[in-house]
Amino acid sequence: MEHLLAMLEATAPAQYLRTSRWVYAGVSGGHVLGIALLVGSVVSLNLRLLGFWPATPLQALTRVIVPVAVVGLALAVVTGALLFSVRATEYAQVTFLQVKVLLVALGVLSAVLIHRTYGLTLEGASQERRSWHAVISIACWLGALVCGRLIAFAVD
Amino acid sequence: MKTLAFTLALVLGLALHGGALAHHGWAWTTGKNVDLAGVIKKVSLGNPHGILHVEIEGEDWTVEVGQPWRNERAGLKDGNLAEGVKIRMIGEPSADPAEKRLKVERLFLGDKEYILYPDRD
Repeated sequence: MEHLLAMLEATAPAQYLRTSRWVYAGVSGGHVLGIALLVGSVVSLNLRLLGFWPATPLQALTRVIVPVAVVGLALAVVTGALLFSVRATEYAQVTFLQVKVLLVALGVLSAVLIHRTYGLTLEGASQERRSWHAVISIACWLGALVCGRLIAFAVD
Repeated sequence: MKTLAFTLALVLGLALHGGALAHHGWAWTTGKNVDLAGVIKKVSLGNPHGILHVEIEGEDWTVEVGQPWRNERAGLKDGNLAEGVKIRMIGEPSADPAEKRLKVERLFLGDKEYILYPDRD
């Protein structure tokens, strides 16, 4: 593990990002954009699943929100990996980051499970099933966001 | 609905609590400069923060220097901040005296001064 992390730190992108000013800032900004797209869309859909805006058809909403969330997640994961690579050994030991990765995995798992069973629109899911997913999903993504932010305050 | 409200409150609480641990900016410092000298024991430069461990009168201090661009602008070259180098630092310490942490505004290596934050005294 140590060896892998050291190898990651030695890669060309990691070395470049370690000293660059604007590219590092850009990647960091891209990470924020990814989180904004992901969390903004996921929270909106989850509130709908909990019963907000009942007049808005789930089919129309999911058609917009799911792709936006997926793009946001992809952007956040790619930029997140780049930011991690800069100080991989150090970050790997940060509890907030470990918890965050776990929450992201759970959030993704919850989404994959419900969409795999009920399709993109989730129309077949019972209210109970929807509520369970929505609460877990909101907790995971907001929790991941908070843990992610706290990494900056935990690392020396 | 109750679970949701609880979750949101928990998350918000954590987020607000996090602010107290901050070392971004200057909110956590005393607001007054100190002048300290010691020997660099450990160097960790590069994004997002440059950190030195400096032994000052037998104590290990965590010393925040600049990001790479700031150190470079100050005139510091690769290898200037290295283990074993004597350093004099002027900056603000943590408002919590138990926390041996200093954020450097300018520093001296020998007689040469390097100014990280030109707009601060």
